[in-house]
This record gives sequence, structure tokens and C-alpha cells, in this order.
Amino acid sequence: MKTFITTLSLCLATGLFGAGPSIAQAQEIAIGDLHPITGPATFYGLPESRGIHLAAEQINAAGGVKVGATTYKIRIVTEDDQASPTVGVAALRKLMAADVRYIIGPLASGVAPALKPIIERSDKVTQLIDGSIADDLTNGKNIFRNQATVSGYNIAVVELFKARKFGSVAVMTDRFHAGFMGSQSKLMADLKGLGANVLGEEYYKLNDTDFSAALTNLKGKNPAVLLIRGYPAEGALITKQARQLGFTGQVVWEMVSPPSTVLKNISASEMEGVFNCIPPTTEDYVKLGDAKAKALDAAYRGKFGEGPGELTGLSFDAVHILKAAFEKAGSIENAAVNKAMGELKLADVPALTTKYTAQPDGRLFDDKGQVDLRGVVSVWKGQGWEPMTNLSQ
Amino acid sequence: MLELLPQQLVNGLALGSTYALVALGLTLIFGVLLIPNFAHGEFYMLGAFITYALVAAGLNFWLAMLVSVVCIMAMGGLVDRLVFRPIETAPALSLMISALAASIILQQVATMIWGTEPRTIPAPLTGVIRTPFFAVTQLQLVVMASVAAAFGAVWLVLNRSRLGLAIRATAQNRDAAMLMGISMPQVRFATFAMGAALGAIAGALLGATFPIYPSMGVNPVLKAFVVLVLGGIGSLWGAIFGGLVLGVAEVLVAGYIASELQDIGAFAILVLVLLVRPQGLFGRAQVER
Repeated sequence: MKTFITTLSLCLATGLFGAGPSIAQAQEIAIGDLHPITGPATFYGLPESRGIHLAAEQINAAGGVKVGATTYKIRIVTEDDQASPTVGVAALRKLMAADVRYIIGPLASGVAPALKPIIERSDKVTQLIDGSIADDLTNGKNIFRNQATVSGYNIAVVELFKARKFGSVAVMTDRFHAGFMGSQSKLMADLKGLGANVLGEEYYKLNDTDFSAALTNLKGKNPAVLLIRGYPAEGALITKQARQLGFTGQVVWEMVSPPSTVLKNISASEMEGVFNCIPPTTEDYVKLGDAKAKALDAAYRGKFGEGPGELTGLSFDAVHILKAAFEKAGSIENAAVNKAMGELKLADVPALTTKYTAQPDGRLFDDKGQVDLRGVVSVWKGQGWEPMTNLSQ
Repeated sequence: MLELLPQQLVNGLALGSTYALVALGLTLIFGVLLIPNFAHGEFYMLGAFITYALVAAGLNFWLAMLVSVVCIMAMGGLVDRLVFRPIETAPALSLMISALAASIILQQVATMIWGTEPRTIPAPLTGVIRTPFFAVTQLQLVVMASVAAAFGAVWLVLNRSRLGLAIRATAQNRDAAMLMGISMPQVRFATFAMGAALGAIAGALLGATFPIYPSMGVNPVLKAFVVLVLGGIGSLWGAIFGGLVLGVAEVLVAGYIASELQDIGAFAILVLVLLVRPQGLFGRAQVER
């Protein structure tokens, strides 16, 4: 009998103490951070993940998320997708098994389409994509995106061609980049519409090193512009090899390309004058003197000892967007938060560091769950990219 | 399109030289010790990274390459001692699995030290030589010259030294060589050291041309195995000729058919050679008794 009572007491004590953390956890909102922390895309993914942690830390320090009468703290659960669809799906399932209902990410355009069918089928997950630019990933129901689409990137390319009146173009595209491949025919049609003759389209893949055969062909057609769509290591190599083969026209990139990564693969002098057509990065906003971007930059440097990545601002914004949606919904249930996300006005999220264009009715997302974020043209000067204010000069 | 042929042929020879440089070390180890050394790609990768680190520390490129070659030679001996020698009598499959394990371990070690971000070694020569028909970089010419020099050096060692005699004897008949008193550990160490040195030279030179990252050795080793099958396993001439043929074929496929088919072209050649001449262009047919 004594043993029974002792055992019962222990069970009750365990139960009570076990319940303690559960009660504390009930005051937390878990947000999944799904980015490549290791693998070939770490230099994009790690600064994104850090941006998420920084935003959560700042929000928690400022009092947390106020949902009705309850105040929640944000808890970030990080999973590494290694920019691989297989690993990404496994990481998503792990988050879902841990009952993480809000997910920010992924970065890679190869990973996001693999996650989409799983998330679309679930009414217990809301996704906010802060990296992938492939078209047709969002649904406006439980998948949203605060990153540009590849079509948003293309707007800058079209604007550049319009301003400079380039007569011809040759294109090199990463054939495994779902976003670039999916938008290629539309972009080519747009450029032809502007009077630019598309002289050739060649393809490569990540980690290719020799582009000489394709570049020899393209150079033989003497295009005014060589447009490179993909990732910066290959972009740098293609630029270098094109110059070595004697290409003297304008090189235009369409890729997120941190100067630190670019300069590990090509000299600054070889990059001088190259254009890049992507939405403004955190660094661009800092250079333009934006106060919020400068505050993010300073906080990031203070915490991590180095500057933010090009996509850090988007990840930082994503946490603030979710916070605003929780507060607007007055609930942390997915259905209510999804509805609130769709109704969020740009003005509802004052902490945003990125300059989104509001929908005609003032909302942040369109009916498909996509923000309006447009590419701008930057030019390489000295050691990095400089945003261009006048495309004609 | 034909006016571009001289340039495409130069492109092909430059690419083929890189394949030949990697394949030379691989064929030496495979030909003498019958080890399909998948870790050869990691000798290549570490050769590039050590050169990169030394150049970043301020060392002259050529001196850095020399130090890197010495380090990788020692590593080659160590890999043989730890990975292959303990299972030297095991079936070929065990050797292959050990080689893959060594390859993965070395890649992970490099990832821990240098991370995964691609980078390029600052090139010691940046000039381009332009003719009316083609352009070629000075570094590409150095790679081509290095292939010839590496071939010459290995040929001299194999054909004009007692060590080379021992290595050739081992390649022909290992048991008979041991009965003649040839020291097998010495032959193994020398073969691995030479093979690894060739990998390191390739890594240093190509790392100044192409981005380097921990998994950079995987593709070149796969291509080098294609070169071995094409040229004949264990044949130095075969490695050179096979590398150049593969490089030119790939460039012509990419240049005149479609760039997406570049790799398909390489492996189609592999299948074709296996069907028509399984011993390779310079290999000798062997008869099992």
C-alpha cells in the first residue's frame, strides 16, 4: 500500500510538473524557420534564419504578440532544408509533427514546389515564403509570399531594355531553376515586344564550370546584351568566360548575388558596369539611407558580428507580418490567421523594412497571397552593387 | 557555325586537358593497385583549398601549389594506410565502398573548415591570347602544358627509375613482384603519393579557373572514370587521349547540338566505348584463366 501511494504521489508530481511547461508553452507561438542552414545555399539561408531569430527576439523583448487578452512570446523552431527538395519535405513533416503551425520559408525555388501540395492539403499550417521566387507557389488561402516572384524580377529587366533600347539579347539560364525557366518564354516575348532581337537561349546547371561552348555560340551572334539568370557563382564564371572569349557587350544579371560571394569568384574590375535586376536588398535600402533598414543592419551586426544578407530584410519582415496577422485575427488558429493575412493592409505592418507596393485596396497581399515587390536595376561599381536611379544614363 | 569551329576546338582541348589532368592520377592508382579511388576527387578538392588558403595568407601561387602538392602527397599515403591497406585482400566492392567513405569524410572535413560557399583562387595569370580564329587564356595554356609535363614526369618515373620498375612489375603481376622482393608498402605509398600529387596539381590549377567548394571533386572524378574507360584503365596515354577526346566531344555536342546535352554526350560515349571496345582505346584485352 505504501509503495502504491508513493508511486501515485510520484505520478501526480510528475504530472503536475509535466503540466508546468505545457502551460508555459501555451503562451508561445511556434514559428517554423525552414531555410538552408547548411549546404550550397547557406550564404543565402543563414542570414535569412538569423533575420527571423532577430525579429522574434525584438518582438519578445518589446512585450510579445498581443492576441486578445493574451500575450504570446514567439518561439522559433529552425529546420535545415539544405536547399534540397527531399530534405525540405522531411523538414516540413518534422515541423508539422511537432505541431508547428506557421512556417517561414523556404529559400530555394526547387524546394518550395515540393512543399506546396503538402501544405495546401493541411488546414493546420500557414506558410509565408520569404525566399523562393518561382511563379504560382501561393494560393491566398494558407500559402503567402512576401518575396517577389520571378515575374517581379523580370519587370526590372524589361524596364532596363526599355530605357537603354538594347537591340538584341542572348540568354544563359540555370535550367534547374524553376522560377527562371517558368518565366523565360514570357520574358523573351516581352523583350521582343520592345524590339530586342533574341539571338540565342542557352542553358546550364548549378555547379557547371565550363560554359565556353555555349558562350562561343552566343558571342558569334554578337548580341548587345548577355542576360544571365541563375546563381552568383555561375554568374561570375559566365561573365568571366564571356569576357575571355571576347564578348564586349553589356552583361545583365538577374540573381540575388551578395558582393562577398561575387568577389570570391570574380575580380571587382571584371564586374565593373554589370547590371543586376532584382528587388532592392537590405544593403540597397541601407545605402539609400532608409532608417528601418539601418536599424536592422545595426541590430544584426550587433548580434552576429557581420552585416545582414541580401534577403535578411524579407525574413525579418515575415515575422512582423505574422505578428500583425495574429493580432488582427485575435486568434492563433490557422483559419482565422489565414483570413487576417489576406486582409492585412500594408499600413498594418509598420515594422516592414522592405518597400512593398500596396494592392489597389491598400492590402499587402493580392488574392493569390502574393505581395507586389518589383525588381529594380543596380549596377556594379567598385566593390558592390549600387541602386540606379536613372536607367537611361 | 563552322567559322566558330577553331574556337570550339580550343574550348574542347582546354576542357579536355582538365579531364586529363584529373584522370592521370586516377589511372595510375587504378592501374597499379586496382583501387577505384573515388577519393581522388577529394585530393583534387583539398589541393585546391590548401592552395587557396595559402594564397589568401599571402603566399605566391606557385609556391602555394608546391606546398599543397606535398601536403596532398602525404595525405594520399595516409588515406592508403588507413582506408585501403587494412582491406587490401578484400573484394573490389569493399575497396569501392571504402573509397566512397573516404571521399565523404574528406568532403565533410573540408566543409567544416571552409564552409560551402564557392570561391576561386586568385589566378596567377589573367591574360588572354587572341588570334583571328580563337582566344585562349594564359591559364588554359598552363593547364595544357601541365598535362604534358605531368605525363612526362610520370613516364620518366615509371620507365627510368627502379621505383618505376617496381611499380610496373606490381601492375603486371603483384604476386610475382612480391616474390622478387619488391616492397609492397613502398610501391603503394609511392603510387598513392604520385596519384595524389597529380590530383593536387589539378586542383590548384583548376581552382584558379573554376569555383572551388567541398563537393567540387565529385563531377571531375565521374568524368575521369569515363576518361579511363575511354582511354583504357592504367594507360597514361589513354588518360591524356581520352580526356582530350571527351573534352572536344562535349564541347562539340554543346556547341553544335544543344548545351543541355553536354553531359549526356559524355556518358553516351562511355556506353558506346563499353559496347564496341570494352578495354578502351589504349587498353589491352585481358583473358581470365
